[in-house]
Amino acid sequence: MNILSKGNRTMMDAEKRNANKPMKIKLTAGDIVFNILNYAFFTLFTLLCFFPFYYIFINTISSNDLVRRGLITFWPQQLTISNYVAMSDVNDLWGSLAITILRTIIGTALMVFGSALAGYLMTKQEMWHRKLWYRMLVITMYFNAGLIPTYLNLNMLGLTNTFLVYIIPAIVSPYNIILVKTYIESIPGEIEESAFIDGAGYWTIFYKIIWPLSKPILATIAIFGAVGHWNSFQDSLIYNANAPELYTLQHRLYVYLNSSSNLGAIMSSSTGGEIGSLAESLNTKVLQYTISMVTIIPIMLVYPFMQRYFESGIMLGAVKG
Amino acid sequence: MAIFANPSSKNSPVNFGNNKVVTETPKTMGEKISDIVFWFLRGLTVINVIMLFFPTFNPAKICEEISRNLSLFTCGVSYDSVTTNVGRALTRGWLPEEAFKLLSLSSIIIILACVVLAVGGCMSLGNVKLKKIGVIVSACGGIIEISGLFGLNNAKTLLENAEKPEKAGEIFLPDMFYAYLVIAIFVILLSVAIFFMLPKLTKVMKCEMEGKYKLFLMMLPFVALTFVFSYLPLYGWRYAFFDYKSGETLTMDKFVGFKWFTQLFQNAATKKDVLRVIKNTLAMSALGIGTSWLPMVFAIFLAEIKNTAFRRIVQTFTTIPNFISWVLVYAIALAIFSTDGFVNTFLTNNLGIPTDTNYLLSSDHMWIKMLAWGTWKGLGWSAIVYIASITGIDQQLYEAATVDGAGRFHKMWYITIPELIPTYMVLLLMSVANILSNGMDQYLVFSNAVNKNSIEVLDLYVYNLGIGNGLIPMSTVIGMVKSVISVILLFSANGISKLVRGQSIV
Repeated sequence: MNILSKGNRTMMDAEKRNANKPMKIKLTAGDIVFNILNYAFFTLFTLLCFFPFYYIFINTISSNDLVRRGLITFWPQQLTISNYVAMSDVNDLWGSLAITILRTIIGTALMVFGSALAGYLMTKQEMWHRKLWYRMLVITMYFNAGLIPTYLNLNMLGLTNTFLVYIIPAIVSPYNIILVKTYIESIPGEIEESAFIDGAGYWTIFYKIIWPLSKPILATIAIFGAVGHWNSFQDSLIYNANAPELYTLQHRLYVYLNSSSNLGAIMSSSTGGEIGSLAESLNTKVLQYTISMVTIIPIMLVYPFMQRYFESGIMLGAVKG
Repeated sequence: MAIFANPSSKNSPVNFGNNKVVTETPKTMGEKISDIVFWFLRGLTVINVIMLFFPTFNPAKICEEISRNLSLFTCGVSYDSVTTNVGRALTRGWLPEEAFKLLSLSSIIIILACVVLAVGGCMSLGNVKLKKIGVIVSACGGIIEISGLFGLNNAKTLLENAEKPEKAGEIFLPDMFYAYLVIAIFVILLSVAIFFMLPKLTKVMKCEMEGKYKLFLMMLPFVALTFVFSYLPLYGWRYAFFDYKSGETLTMDKFVGFKWFTQLFQNAATKKDVLRVIKNTLAMSALGIGTSWLPMVFAIFLAEIKNTAFRRIVQTFTTIPNFISWVLVYAIALAIFSTDGFVNTFLTNNLGIPTDTNYLLSSDHMWIKMLAWGTWKGLGWSAIVYIASITGIDQQLYEAATVDGAGRFHKMWYITIPELIPTYMVLLLMSVANILSNGMDQYLVFSNAVNKNSIEVLDLYVYNLGIGNGLIPMSTVIGMVKSVISVILLFSANGISKLVRGQSIV
């Protein structure tokens, strides 16, 4: 916890403190120049981060003809949602979307449950050889056998080219387990004690006391885990290369981006007869943009909820037991 | 209740369970001996369960045409993989389908037997009553296993009586068949022996287990998963010592010792490749480390902005890129920098400078470009940890400094930065330890035929070599060397941290 020792107070506190502070007496010329430059820099960087998303978005909702001629630069023109409607004809996309949603839900649920239970168990000093299991878990954060042995291992277990490869290896997540463990250790032990004296077993204590009390941290790992699952692309690329029906959305997008010349073919093969009209209405660029938007939108939707968890989320990268 | 003497101890909020031993009757002689014999029984159980997953220990490989790469588990779970090589012979009726179905079914029975054995092994951690039930369960497991093996034997007989048995290649009972048989028989014998060693049950006795074992059994699934997915891959390191091509089977005559290791340093072409890749890796890591102070500066200057709403907006929008995947970053790069992307259309249509450069199809300044994308994606997010730290700094320090006549930059330099340096040092040491692992997503999505030479980092190289070109031994060797060096680096960084700050980072 060494990193955050000073950061426990929230932004809100700091803002209140700033508000109570007496106003600066006078701004010097230097202050004004500094402020202008400072605001200018941050405005610029914010625009840099925001504009690409905006640019892609306005291109997907503008008339395809204008997009093709490169006339949509700063604002949308001749609004249309035909691109999003046309997406329903790209069969592969919906399969990938379903796979990604499924893995996000199932994978996150199992990961959160696993982290909660394992985190709780790891606080139990009396467990048989607890230290050994704990070390076994922690070492895996810093050491792995490498990409190829991992692939061969999953292959040997028969997990390659299956949906399960997205779920099972991700259930045990040492980082999250340590995070939950640290959190549970901060819950007053007396609560657990009294439940134990009342005759509750480990399971009862776990889901009647520990689970509800550690909801804040579980929400954090859930939301970051879900984003991780949604964004994951490597496992699909490496382990499920020969099972296109199991490609995740990101992998599908990657395939589309790389085979932009073949996109017309993809469209026509998935739509059968009406090649002409679709190829007309959807050029490759717009198709890429639209699929990108479909991939980004869910992230944008959960983003406002995620912001609440940023403060605890940075611990994901910082806490070491 | 002496166990509760120190409830405030941070690491052990509650320490109960040891007091859950109900009957403290002294152990009989037989019980003491059975405790030792139990370890053999549990050992056999664990070995048996592990053997399920290794192709080397497959008792179901009863003919040549069943792939060597199948484990017993795969044979049971996937009927298709058993019959891949004999599909034609089956459809023509040369080989009886029943034989393979029976084989698959027998495999499932043996898997089931192993599950039963595992349950029995778990029960053996309880009290005398649980132990007694446990050995009965184990014995049953042994019997089920033998029946499964009997099924395998029948499958073999069916194959031998086939119309054209030669289509299945040589038909035999593998050594592992007998190994399983021996294990099953031993399990039954040990179980029976223990059953009679254990004292007689009294009527009042209940099934109970000590807390420490209960907790262990709850933890067991996680330990097993960790073992299977994080430690078992180490078994794959053996490929580094063989002349192995993807899809082949591994046999001892392909053993080549340290050939691949020496080739790494002696073969001119490989050496050149590896040196180039290492150069890229180190250069990009070094650039990353060289700019690792940027988030700190970002946070410090953001804190100078007093307008809360503006600061919120900046933070919101600069953090978004961290939550999109590298594939999407690449999609954005395409939208902005490709031939018909934003930059080109803007220059052509709005400024009247006709261009159609594809900025992504060039190998110039690749390291800097990758750094720029990394910064674009990560700067806002990395700054959050520093922003949190800055809000925690005591405001009185600043007030005192103001009274003493310190200007804005003085305060930054003498108050804010010293307060943030410990955090920075930890992150810096971590990134030094990760110098060889820059990940592969970013470089994979941005790589193409033109820029391949200057973008390929170690992780991507291993991927291209192993998955792309199927050079499994060589890529395993590189991965091994990388893993070992990374661990050494991590421990060095940790040692430095302990020495300098008195705190470990691991």
